[in-house]
Amino acid sequence: MDFDTTVKLNIYATIAEQARVPGAVGVAQALDAPLEEVLAAFERLHQVRLLVPEPGDPLHIRMAPPFSGVKTPFPVRVGGKLYYANCVWDALGIPAALRADALVESSDGFSEEPLFLEVRDGQPVPQDCVIHFAVPAARWWQDIIYT
Amino acid sequence: MLLFRSEETVRAWCQANGIPVRPLVNLEQLWHLAVTWYGNRLTAESRRPSADEMAGIFAGIGLEAPFWDPQADVWNTGAL
Repeated sequence: MDFDTTVKLNIYATIAEQARVPGAVGVAQALDAPLEEVLAAFERLHQVRLLVPEPGDPLHIRMAPPFSGVKTPFPVRVGGKLYYANCVWDALGIPAALRADALVESSDGFSEEPLFLEVRDGQPVPQDCVIHFAVPAARWWQDIIYT
Repeated sequence: MLLFRSEETVRAWCQANGIPVRPLVNLEQLWHLAVTWYGNRLTAESRRPSADEMAGIFAGIGLEAPFWDPQADVWNTGAL
């Protein structure tokens, strides 16, 4: 297995097990690898759009899609763990990735009325809602944090 | 991308933010995208779909306007 894949799997395993996004120092310690090599792997994983470093701080991960490294309006409860998603798409991506039931404790983007989504037995529970994509697909990664 | 209770609150949010109303996605379509994008994300083989694959995934669930073309340089604003 190549080093970038090893780094990727360590990041996602840490997130899945501990409900927190690790930083480069933690990944380097876990893999017993030089920090510089982990940072280089972070950059390559960013180039293939599998993670987004924190702007101005390459030691930390802002996004390991569908997971967020910071709190967002898309908290996702899976079992006894609380994850944060980057957007509503990623909020459903978390139960898809973990292959688990989940409750997305979100709200209406305008009224802020609580609006929860539930995934149970591999399907979303029907809910009155719509999803709006403000940014065209070709521009999603021009500013992925905004998207 | 945001979640709304109804088309009415989508319109209100777009007006408040000066953003055109774009095509809407329903919950079933979004679940399909979530599973397709992230279903194997915790595995060694996981990767982001290519642009061509993305276009096929979107078309497969009825999202075919230029807005959904990952290589387009023009977009429809769509209409509710």
